[in-house]
Amino acid sequence: MSDPHDDRQGDAARRPLPGAPVSLDRRQLLGTLGGAALVGLAKPAAAETSAAAHVTDAPRSALTQERIPCLGRHQAGVTTPRPAAGMVASFFVLAETRAELERLFRTLTARIAFLTQGGPQSDPDPKLPPAGSGILGPVVPPDALTITVSLGASLFDQRYGLAGFKPKRLQQMQRHPNDALDAALCHGDLSIQFCANTPDTNIHALRDIIKNTPDLLVLHWKQEGSVPPIPASNGRPPESARNFLGFRDGSANPDSADAALMDRIVWVQPGSDEPAWAAYGTYQAVRIIRNFVERWDRTPLQEQEAIFGRVKSTGAPLDGGRSEHEVPDYTKDAQGERTPLDSHIRLANPRTPQSEANLILRRPFNYSNGVTKSGQLEMGLLFICYQADLEQGFIAVQKRLDGEPLEEYIKPIGGGFFYTLPGVRDEQDWLGRTLLQASA
Amino acid sequence: MYLSRFMIRIAAILTLGLSAGAVLGAVSPLELVAPVADYKLYVAENARKLVADTRNFTAAVKAGDIEKAKQLFAPTRMNYERIEPLAELFSDLDSAIDSRADDHEQAEQDPDFGGFHRIEYALWVEKSTKNVEVVADKLLSDVVELQKRLTALTFPPEKVVGGAAVLMEEVAATKISGEEDRYSHTDLWDFQANFEGAYKIVELLRPLVVKQDKAFADKTDANFKMVFDTLQKYRSADGGFETYQKLAERDRKLLAGRVNTLAEDLSKLRGMLGLN
Repeated sequence: MSDPHDDRQGDAARRPLPGAPVSLDRRQLLGTLGGAALVGLAKPAAAETSAAAHVTDAPRSALTQERIPCLGRHQAGVTTPRPAAGMVASFFVLAETRAELERLFRTLTARIAFLTQGGPQSDPDPKLPPAGSGILGPVVPPDALTITVSLGASLFDQRYGLAGFKPKRLQQMQRHPNDALDAALCHGDLSIQFCANTPDTNIHALRDIIKNTPDLLVLHWKQEGSVPPIPASNGRPPESARNFLGFRDGSANPDSADAALMDRIVWVQPGSDEPAWAAYGTYQAVRIIRNFVERWDRTPLQEQEAIFGRVKSTGAPLDGGRSEHEVPDYTKDAQGERTPLDSHIRLANPRTPQSEANLILRRPFNYSNGVTKSGQLEMGLLFICYQADLEQGFIAVQKRLDGEPLEEYIKPIGGGFFYTLPGVRDEQDWLGRTLLQASA
Repeated sequence: MYLSRFMIRIAAILTLGLSAGAVLGAVSPLELVAPVADYKLYVAENARKLVADTRNFTAAVKAGDIEKAKQLFAPTRMNYERIEPLAELFSDLDSAIDSRADDHEQAEQDPDFGGFHRIEYALWVEKSTKNVEVVADKLLSDVVELQKRLTALTFPPEKVVGGAAVLMEEVAATKISGEEDRYSHTDLWDFQANFEGAYKIVELLRPLVVKQDKAFADKTDANFKMVFDTLQKYRSADGGFETYQKLAERDRKLLAGRVNTLAEDLSKLRGMLGLN
């Protein structure tokens, strides 16, 4: 899609960092801090001219200018290739009227346009708090940031007159038998998924949004995650990143570059049984799934592989092949002698004509949060997936997985279901417009 | 002790002359003299009341009258919570008077844990005052010392103006969750006092703020009204407040949102009035 806005922002973002001396205002301010402070601040500037390397020099990235268009029929961040860092934040909406809800959507739209396209953020008056956190410097780099906004079932209550306009399959996430859901990590009125090349870019964006919506949103929970990169070019086809259990996660994911396939699996289409406003949106399922990694690491390799249904080193299916890209043929293994019938991949996707309807687009990140009360690592998977039909998609797949042997090593503790709004078409458009217009 | 308003104004002018420097905004340092002087009187009155109420409170503690001490706990604290931005300038006293168990490595068992919250722990959890008689004496002498120091203090205008935001930041960061008065659950009293203290500053500065940005003044007033109205729903029959657990989840979120908004907006107050 073409986006003239994109280019203009791009020029601004590509402008070199201002190397000019500090502004007059700035110097006046420093003057009031006294001589000692001024000397202290002047030193690094002098050292800048020398090329000496310091351990604290910022790591270099060739990717900071990667820019993902934020306008289009669909929101970015769903079929966009997954970068190294992800985050999901869930909020309560405090807007008291539909007008305030619209202000929230318009504000989010404007912040997303700025943050994802990048550009300078200026602070003309040093006596006021700065406009942004400044953690990425005065010119915000796009860094492949995408920001994806989705709505929880609770937003479609009586508050805004949206009750009759809830997407048909949107519901509060229900507990599955192996879940130990923590209310402090579940559900929410609105979710925002941030994806970027570096975690700092996601944090910058989250802080910007919080700062710009204090009377409209209050943070409920958030979870960050990452995926380990592989060498830039090793002469081999793309590989799926590994999860914290050491297995490749995403091997059988549908091809997100295949637009027709995405229209079938991911995007709600006009003329479906969903409300008309919801066309080109999608259902988002988020699960925070703790992994018992110490125990997993003490499990025999063949047992790990039987539980997943794949060879750990290559990701190949257990019925043969050398790579994760080879497709298992369960018709030749009806008894599950090669790939156990209760293995994770076989339950998740039995590859029958019927299970074609249950395909989902996964977009998971690994998370690591510290230490449990028992002194074990609190880490696991920030599972995110998208589908045009939540019931046929995530819910059906998870029901098949209920009781799988992997459950001994995992414990879902949070997450929620959300409806990802249709995209922002152009610079006049805003997130949620079709919903608010349809329900006006 | 009576402080003449005239003397306070002279002191304020001297302070302003040193710290405000070249004023970029349209507010002249002289215009801040009256509100700062009025605020000093407000602080003096609250400090006086704090000493008087703490005297009664600690007397009840020492007499072993747990029920009476429990009743006096929250109202006594309000005098402190209203003037916290200035009281906190004396960090030794603030820590002695108002620290919480988690400020101390051994929490409730830490010998350094004293002040209001140690006594709160004795009254509501230990249900005995025998361990806190010394703590009560120390608390009283600390608030007397605080009053003395506040009286001698030349109020830095930027601390006064910035104090409104400071109060909101504290509520937003470490109070809205109900962690301040974790044994008595009298947090709503503290909220009320923090909001009153912040609103007093905003009220005194309002004529100056209106000149700079009328919409800002109106929005801030509306947000204060909202938090006071929300707390009003939790007034008990005796003029106090219900316990924190009675606060509905929706109201807690609304309060959090308004406090965040006030913190965000009031963070601009110093700059708006040309203060460093």
